[in-house]
Amino acid sequence: MSRKSRGQEKKHRSGTIPTDSFSDIAFLLIIYFLVATSLVKVKSITADLPSGEKKAQAQTEKTPSVNLRGSEIFFNDKQVSFDELEARLAALDLSSQEGSKRVILLESTRDTPYGSYFQTLAAISASGGVVALVQEEEKK
Amino acid sequence: MKRKKKRRSVPVPTASMGDIAFLLIIFFLVCSDTSKERSLSLDLPQSGYVQKTKVSVAARISMDKEGILYFDGQPVEGPKDVEWGVRAVLANTVADDQRHVQFTCDAALPKEQFEPVIQAIVEAGGILEAVGEKRE
Repeated sequence: MSRKSRGQEKKHRSGTIPTDSFSDIAFLLIIYFLVATSLVKVKSITADLPSGEKKAQAQTEKTPSVNLRGSEIFFNDKQVSFDELEARLAALDLSSQEGSKRVILLESTRDTPYGSYFQTLAAISASGGVVALVQEEEKK
Repeated sequence: MKRKKKRRSVPVPTASMGDIAFLLIIFFLVCSDTSKERSLSLDLPQSGYVQKTKVSVAARISMDKEGILYFDGQPVEGPKDVEWGVRAVLANTVADDQRHVQFTCDAALPKEQFEPVIQAIVEAGGILEAVGEKRE
């Protein structure tokens, strides 16, 4: 009798894994990811700066140059405002030019802050220009 | 005599809820990009030309207000470390799309601090992605 009842007990045992709480756990994980994920997109400019050797021949007289002296901007040695610089860069129609004709020399003094450097770099890149950085050693 | 209305039990099918939820988790795991950036104290430069970065960057270089340089969130000594780091990252890259290097820098830093870093990125073969804010 006792054996029989044991056998019956075995029959009633169910071997299923309890999955009722799975969805709750999963949704908790989703909420965690939703809270932890940062959806902030970074804004930037792509600057075309060719790497290469420092050649003085690249600085021909015809190559337009932008000179930053602190907060002042000089385009081909003439002081301009930022709006004028944009207009002059647009007049050069750099995006339709090829090769070295797209090059704009970018020179700056030591006290030039990154803010105005970035602004100029963005303007040149947006006009389709290739920025060539002028180093101080070359001036000496 | 009023008959009692039998209430129909309408069970909501919840059997697949767990599966849906786990699919969503997998989606978030695959799509999320773990941030290697530290929260730096810096004022970003402004320009009207900045756009949302559409490319995936190979490395992130940042410079805070004090001029401390970070490569993927880790402080480094100077531009030489940046150059070697970028070279190492770009060693196995083939396409131009994989050569973008993000550069974040404080707007007030002088040239002698930021320009060697820009040159290091360029010399290492990276395409500069300079981070800024949209000017209103």
